[in-house]
Amino acid sequence: MTKAMLAEAPTAFALQCRDISVQYGEVAALVGVSLAFAPKLIHAVVGQNGAGKTTFARVAAGIVKPVSGTLAIGGREIPTGNVGQARAAGVELVHQSFALPPSFTVAESMEFGAERGRPVFSRRGLEKRWQKHLENLGVRAGLRDRIRDLPVEAQQGVEIARALVADAKVLILDEPTAVLSPSGIEKLFERLKGLKASGVTVILILHKIREVLGVADTVSVLRGGRLVEGPIAVGATNARRLSASIIGVQAEKEIAADEAALVGATAGDALAGAAPAAAINAAPVLAMQRVVTRADSEGPGLEEVSLRIGRGEIVGVAGVEGNGQRTLVRVLANLVEARSGQILLEGKDVTKTPLSERRARGLRIIPFERNSEGLSLSSALWENWSARQLLLGPALRLINPSWYRNACDASLKEWDVRYHTTMQAAGSLSGGNAQKLILAREIDADASLIIAAQPTRGLDVGATAFVWRALRDARARGCAVLIISSDLDELFDICDRIVVMLSGRIVAEFRPPYRLGEVGAAMTGAH
Amino acid sequence: MKDSLLAVARALAFVVLALALCGVIFEFAGYSAPEMFQSIADGAFLNPGAWEGSLRWAMPLFITATGVIISFRSGYFNVGAQGQFYIGAIATTFVVDFLNGYPAALVVPLCFIAGVAGGAVWALWPGLLRVRSGADEVITTLMGNFIAGLILIYVTGGVLKDPSGTGQVMASRPVAAAYRISSEVGLSPTIVGAAVVVGVLMWVLVNRTAFGVLAGLAGRNSTMVVWQGARMSRLGIAGFVLGGALAGLAGTIEVLGPNGRLVSGFLPAHGFTAILIALVAGLSISGAAIVSVFFGGLASASLYLPVLAGLPAAAIDIINAAIALFITARAAPGLGWLTARRRMIRGA
Repeated sequence: MTKAMLAEAPTAFALQCRDISVQYGEVAALVGVSLAFAPKLIHAVVGQNGAGKTTFARVAAGIVKPVSGTLAIGGREIPTGNVGQARAAGVELVHQSFALPPSFTVAESMEFGAERGRPVFSRRGLEKRWQKHLENLGVRAGLRDRIRDLPVEAQQGVEIARALVADAKVLILDEPTAVLSPSGIEKLFERLKGLKASGVTVILILHKIREVLGVADTVSVLRGGRLVEGPIAVGATNARRLSASIIGVQAEKEIAADEAALVGATAGDALAGAAPAAAINAAPVLAMQRVVTRADSEGPGLEEVSLRIGRGEIVGVAGVEGNGQRTLVRVLANLVEARSGQILLEGKDVTKTPLSERRARGLRIIPFERNSEGLSLSSALWENWSARQLLLGPALRLINPSWYRNACDASLKEWDVRYHTTMQAAGSLSGGNAQKLILAREIDADASLIIAAQPTRGLDVGATAFVWRALRDARARGCAVLIISSDLDELFDICDRIVVMLSGRIVAEFRPPYRLGEVGAAMTGAH
Repeated sequence: MKDSLLAVARALAFVVLALALCGVIFEFAGYSAPEMFQSIADGAFLNPGAWEGSLRWAMPLFITATGVIISFRSGYFNVGAQGQFYIGAIATTFVVDFLNGYPAALVVPLCFIAGVAGGAVWALWPGLLRVRSGADEVITTLMGNFIAGLILIYVTGGVLKDPSGTGQVMASRPVAAAYRISSEVGLSPTIVGAAVVVGVLMWVLVNRTAFGVLAGLAGRNSTMVVWQGARMSRLGIAGFVLGGALAGLAGTIEVLGPNGRLVSGFLPAHGFTAILIALVAGLSISGAAIVSVFFGGLASASLYLPVLAGLPAAAIDIINAAIALFITARAAPGLGWLTARRRMIRGA
């Protein structure tokens, strides 16, 4: 891709927006963004979390109405904030969190994604109608399969196929790689290149530079709701320059050490973590021995999982989502029963011990779902913060709420949480501050084993760096840390050791220097 | 404290809206709305002696409402206060009937224990069904109300039946004067004392104990407290049992106090009015103390209207229903559900 090729592009842009501004309450999500995308290319829009990428995608798809600005598809201006018009003009959006009804079959999803479904239909008729469409796109999913039963990659394939049932000219994908394994990402990119060849303009919302350089023709960078640069041909830029413009000059110093990992620009090799000081030889803080659980609605069961974590060691769990990571955390929390095997905490058998007692022994959990498992959003900050301590003594003991409010106040200040009063609801905090509130509760002097499940998902670069620092500090104090993440850059950056989970088993273990190819192969069972 | 009073003020604004709606209904029904409201205010608070009547109704309602608040706060929609109230009253009557003749110092405390225990048992089984097998507590407690109402008919027509009764009303033998805790007026040191003790204890429980804070968290998001290591089954059972015990206590007070006997089908709206009080008070104990007096006034006025003002007592039912409507609309869970639903369909 060269500048000359871009210049040859016809004057009618596939999608062009001028001076778009979006306001969410007091927050400006986009400020005067003007972008024009040439047809039949793959365009990437990058930026940190909170930079306005998803908002941009939603404006382009007509879901969000900007306060100002215009939108033109194929050279023809259409009213903003109108999904019907945008779809009629050929714009389709594949959401970051999939939006197909889980109880629908694949054929039903296709039918009802079509602009004009028929009022009367038969199951067999539907299946016949959509067979070809799926085959043409190379999506391997049975037409009778229910969406909820499909593996993530097939689900995404169906989502894309759904977006293409009408005659889509512009396909927008919001963070499509977040749920995929490295090989799944490769397959996705092949599929997108195929679409490009057949004349579709693809706009990819991404946050990893490595992926952008691998697939896109042009790249545009958003930061803090403003367009920093773009679209520029990928050939005219490089990882260093992109990461500088994604992060910005001011933030750069603060996070210099982690910069490459934060923007996903690592080549995939190297990055040796600080080696643990002979920790592994001492008695492990956590020892799981051949733990087996039943499969349930939340994931596959564990099959003879053995895992040891020593004092002052950060162990990462890599794997494609849905391969037992949630079950692993739940069995450690005693929220799912271990059918056989043993769990030892500080040398003590806690296999049958309830969570409250495990917590009293130093177990701390930063759960997967910040807003449901981690916090009660409609409850006050101080109540959320105090919950762990309140559970330590007898339930009927008298407490002094103002003591807890003051302690919460002091702790949240220490953790740099931005809030107004400890009486405000936890739901009023931003994602990063909400996560810091959980850290403030879970990382204390008595913690001996910290389980952090997707601790930085949805956080911006600054908050992510903060979380990593907190976990490293905990390690320095002698805590054992287990971190579960689908972001390999994150794991490579902070883990002393990485294990890979596949179908409820631990299938591989790696030590630095990590190689993306090897870990990726283990994640998909391809080694 | 300030926050909860603010919440009550906000809820009372909805009550005013409900009253405005009632005014429209009264006018359409051919009554003068100002006259109707004037009569209600007279009957509830303004006439000489009206306060006494209002407080007589407010005390038991407040006690039952605090139980409802405990249960709702811990996240369980125990709408069985009516049935628990009945079973408490029945258990009390059994004790007072079979121990007739023993000294009051023995019988009266036993009556209280029986009432509390009866109410607690009637809340325990839906609680167990809920936490053990996930049976919807709205259904089970509502069924419990019907069953309790039928048990009430059964015992007042059978074992507890007053042989000298007229046959028009099925009722137990009158409680002997020695065991009564108040006259027909229904206000006595014992009853006021019980209401104050319950109010203070429940306020402390909700606002000044670990249980209160944790139950509040659990009521808003049980998943979160489970991840903190709480056992929801224990919290839930405690909420159910406490709620039932307090409704049962109110049953004891009605039998030994103003009613003086157990009448088939008595006070059929007691438990539901208590639920309304809990909701209008925004599940705050101190708020419920104020709101109970308001609803006690309405209950008192519903007796006054037909007798002294020649107006239909159904006006009070209309007011209660309108308040229920507006309080439910305020919570508006349906609205949130609808928008979420629409978003999903649009995304698909």
